[in-house]
Amino acid sequence: MTRCVWCTRTFEPPVTLQDLLRWRPLPVPALCSSCQERFTPITGAHCPACGRQQATTIRCHDCERWGTETLTNHALFQYDAGMKAYMQQYKFQGDYALRKALQAPLYRALARQTYDVLVPIPVDQHTWLTRGFNQVTGWLRDQPFQQVLRVKADHKSQPQSAKTRAERLVTPQPFMLDAAAAKIIANRRVLLLDDVYTTGRTLRHAANQIYLGGAKAVTSLTLAR
Amino acid sequence: MIDLSEYFGRRLSAATGTSQLGMGMPAVQQVGAHYQCQRCQQWLADTDQLPNGAWYCRQCLQLGRVTSQTKLYTIPEPNRFSPPESPLTWTGELSPDQQQAAESIRQHVQLGQNQLLWAVTGAGKTEIVYPALAWAVTQGWRIAWVSPRVDVCLELAPRIRAAFAAVSQCLLYGEQSAPYQYSQLTVCTTHQLLRFDQAFDWIIVDEVDAFPLATSPLLQLAITRAEKSKGQHLYLTATPGEKLQRQIRQRTLVTTYLPLRYHGYLLPQLRVRLAWRWRERLHKGRLPRPLIRQLLAYLGKGQRFLLFVPHVRDLPEIMAELGQQGVRGGVSVHAADPERTGKVQALRDQKLSYLVTTTILERGVTFSNIAVVILGGDDAVFSTAALVQIAGRAGRSADFPDGEVTCYVQTQTRVVRRAQAMITRLNRQGKQRGGRRP
Ligand SMILES: [Zn+2]
Ligand SMILES: [Zn+2]
Ligand SMILES: [Zn+2]
Repeated sequence: MTRCVWCTRTFEPPVTLQDLLRWRPLPVPALCSSCQERFTPITGAHCPACGRQQATTIRCHDCERWGTETLTNHALFQYDAGMKAYMQQYKFQGDYALRKALQAPLYRALARQTYDVLVPIPVDQHTWLTRGFNQVTGWLRDQPFQQVLRVKADHKSQPQSAKTRAERLVTPQPFMLDAAAAKIIANRRVLLLDDVYTTGRTLRHAANQIYLGGAKAVTSLTLAR
Repeated sequence: MIDLSEYFGRRLSAATGTSQLGMGMPAVQQVGAHYQCQRCQQWLADTDQLPNGAWYCRQCLQLGRVTSQTKLYTIPEPNRFSPPESPLTWTGELSPDQQQAAESIRQHVQLGQNQLLWAVTGAGKTEIVYPALAWAVTQGWRIAWVSPRVDVCLELAPRIRAAFAAVSQCLLYGEQSAPYQYSQLTVCTTHQLLRFDQAFDWIIVDEVDAFPLATSPLLQLAITRAEKSKGQHLYLTATPGEKLQRQIRQRTLVTTYLPLRYHGYLLPQLRVRLAWRWRERLHKGRLPRPLIRQLLAYLGKGQRFLLFVPHVRDLPEIMAELGQQGVRGGVSVHAADPERTGKVQALRDQKLSYLVTTTILERGVTFSNIAVVILGGDDAVFSTAALVQIAGRAGRSADFPDGEVTCYVQTQTRVVRRAQAMITRLNRQGKQRGGRRP
């Protein structure tokens, strides 16, 4: 018997014969099956640039509009009603325990990526004090990461979610590189990690700074698109 | 500049502290080796710590997160109201029975007693409380009318607003956006009481036996703390649970009965019919023959009906079989159905002949002249209270007080017998007051 971290009901985790034959402690799922079903994984055809679910494998309209400012992003789940409800409780209500809900799928996704250094998108000082955690690093279990990006002190912290697409696209560069960054990222392949890919503006700002630090390649992974 | 009245009788966090609010108390406090939330009094798990070092409470998260870095502030309730001389603007009339119950409640309130109003479904229990409420308002009391169910609050608030038009009022529930306003009358969900601290002179708890209040120590604590130490409360119920019934028997709780519905007719009794292996048959997509015959007969004479079934997952099979057997002209509806309101209205407007539904329609939904059929009344989802409530759907209107209620079971369970016993008991008391058989 285990308790679902989201709906807090107890449930019986499914056990397969394979699990039993592995002779290892069974992984305890964080979510019951009905909470699990609230997330929609992105499978099959998707945009090769931003990772959104679509019928074709050609670059989507939004990515075309970015022109030459390219970035390759992968995303795990669709940003649908279920994911929004999750983000609402985890990020905005600040329910840190919900980080466990997506640790396992993120763990598997990271294992499929090719990179040398993992860089999570940081939160600003105000968010750190009020929310008390960085929602992105919360999803990491013990994978090593480097916090080489910082939010500039003068960056006005207005949540991206409160802005229109046009407003987001003109957001000025919010990030700066940590003093020790160059040593860590020069000539390395960097994977950026963020929660939601909406317009791609934030990730491109981050990627630009990482390139300035001398990285040889930058890609990104988000939980939702 | 903060509005201090927001803190009258409350236990609330402040975005910015101010000297007028005093020191406040940490919202999460260490007690021994553990941490306890001072808003909901629940214990935190050992894992509920944030990377910035603060501890946070998950139990009352939906009221906005509090942590060990949050402070809660209270200003003792000053009862700063200017009540009108005659606050009751309701112009309806109470029946002699209702009047008698209303008088009894008012007397006990004046004596400062905790009490229970046990009134059958359809007795008009809200209006029965009005005279006592009017008196309490003139005393300058602060009063809360609470229910564990949001839909009850939403239905209640406009009625009370109209009945006490000149009294300051506010409605509080989970997802609303209207700002809080210090008011003499508060209609809210039981959860919202967690934001109060010794605020109310009188708390009226509607549907005291409804989920989740009946099983939640957290919500019961919320009521206790929101009530002033010299305050009192009134429980309203149509179907008291075991614990309340014991208190009634032992006379430890002052009780006013209203065993009669406002039109003076007795409650329809559950008629139990045996339906051998209804569940196994249902899995094979079949329904009991007597049930089909009964439903066809209803359709034949134009009698609308509600068919209650235990589970949402049963609905597709049942609808398919009903269609097969020629029981047409109805639809199914369940709690999460987006068209729920429309379907209920269609039945009311006689555009539908029947609804097949789960227990969600048991309370608060009224149709005039409706027959009620329960398939699987012995299923665990139906509590005694639920069965009595479902029976109460029938015969709600004075023009059609006769409502048939049939309950199909495989075995006669204790729950079903208790429901019948409760109806019998209510009807016995109703008869003493001159209640009529329909
Ligand atoms: Zn769950
Ligand atoms: Zn794209
Ligand atoms: Zn709490």
